[in-house]
Amino acid sequence: MTTQQNPVDYAVAIQAQLTTTVSPVRVYANFNRNFATEPKFLTWQLRNVHQPVYTGPQDNKGIDRPVFQVSIFAQSMNDAFSISNTILQSLHGYAGQFGGAGGIWVSKVDIDWLYNTYDNELGLNQVILDCTLDIPA
Amino acid sequence: MALINKVMPGFSATLWMQDDVTPTPLTDTQLATWTGQVADIIGTAAGGTGTAGIAVPVEAIPAFGADDAFAAYSVAGARTGAKITTQNQVTSMTITAAWNPADAAMLQIRDDGESGTVIRTYVVATYDGTNTVAYAFNGRIGGMQWDMAPGAEGKFTFTIHPTGGNSYGWSTNP
Repeated sequence: MTTQQNPVDYAVAIQAQLTTTVSPVRVYANFNRNFATEPKFLTWQLRNVHQPVYTGPQDNKGIDRPVFQVSIFAQSMNDAFSISNTILQSLHGYAGQFGGAGGIWVSKVDIDWLYNTYDNELGLNQVILDCTLDIPA
Repeated sequence: MALINKVMPGFSATLWMQDDVTPTPLTDTQLATWTGQVADIIGTAAGGTGTAGIAVPVEAIPAFGADDAFAAYSVAGARTGAKITTQNQVTSMTITAAWNPADAAMLQIRDDGESGTVIRTYVVATYDGTNTVAYAFNGRIGGMQWDMAPGAEGKFTFTIHPTGGNSYGWSTNP
């Protein structure tokens, strides 16, 4: 039995954890063209927040396995890959408190490097990572 | 009898069990008696009183009822033969639950399975928000397995094997 968890807690934890991991590179939720003047930064978006619902009362649910997508932007391809590697080394397979003191508890972080690309209009290299959180309920 | 008169969604079913460490399972008559018997095992969330039972948080209620059973004989070289119906066994229920090691019901089921001798009354309650239909039976726990595959939540699977004579009864709230 468990209640529905609060995605606001996820968002706060993701922002805090990424900020710590890639500091001093700036971390933003969602993309804003104004950021594109910075030589390197990253954005994230949360999706697939879902606890399976089982039979009976509303609080009979399973664990949540949301995904946050991290988009790493950098004018230098080397920077983009290096920041991505920093995230991989730090968080892939990580278990424990996520988001510093007061953060959520995750039993595992699983990172899938989807692809890298280049935006010619912005002049920015990009790497897209999918990060799955196992959040015990 | 306040019998539910509508088609029920599957998720309206819940599983309940007696909460005593050493329970006294209901008699065949009591298994079909709502007031003071089956109602006490079902919690208020499903229209019961919950004074003698707890919820078992399972993913889904498997098919329940009675097995098909018959004795057959045949005559060599001829089609002559027959299927003779026998009394059917009550169906065993293999149940999967998301594993919460501190859940009171799961701990009790784990202990029952380890003992192998405890007979307990279980109730499947179907509730429409007002009225309840209950299927109660006595059983022992067997076949406990824990599946902790990475990349998914832990699962606790167990089987309730019915015991006794008729050993199940239907009831509904008055």
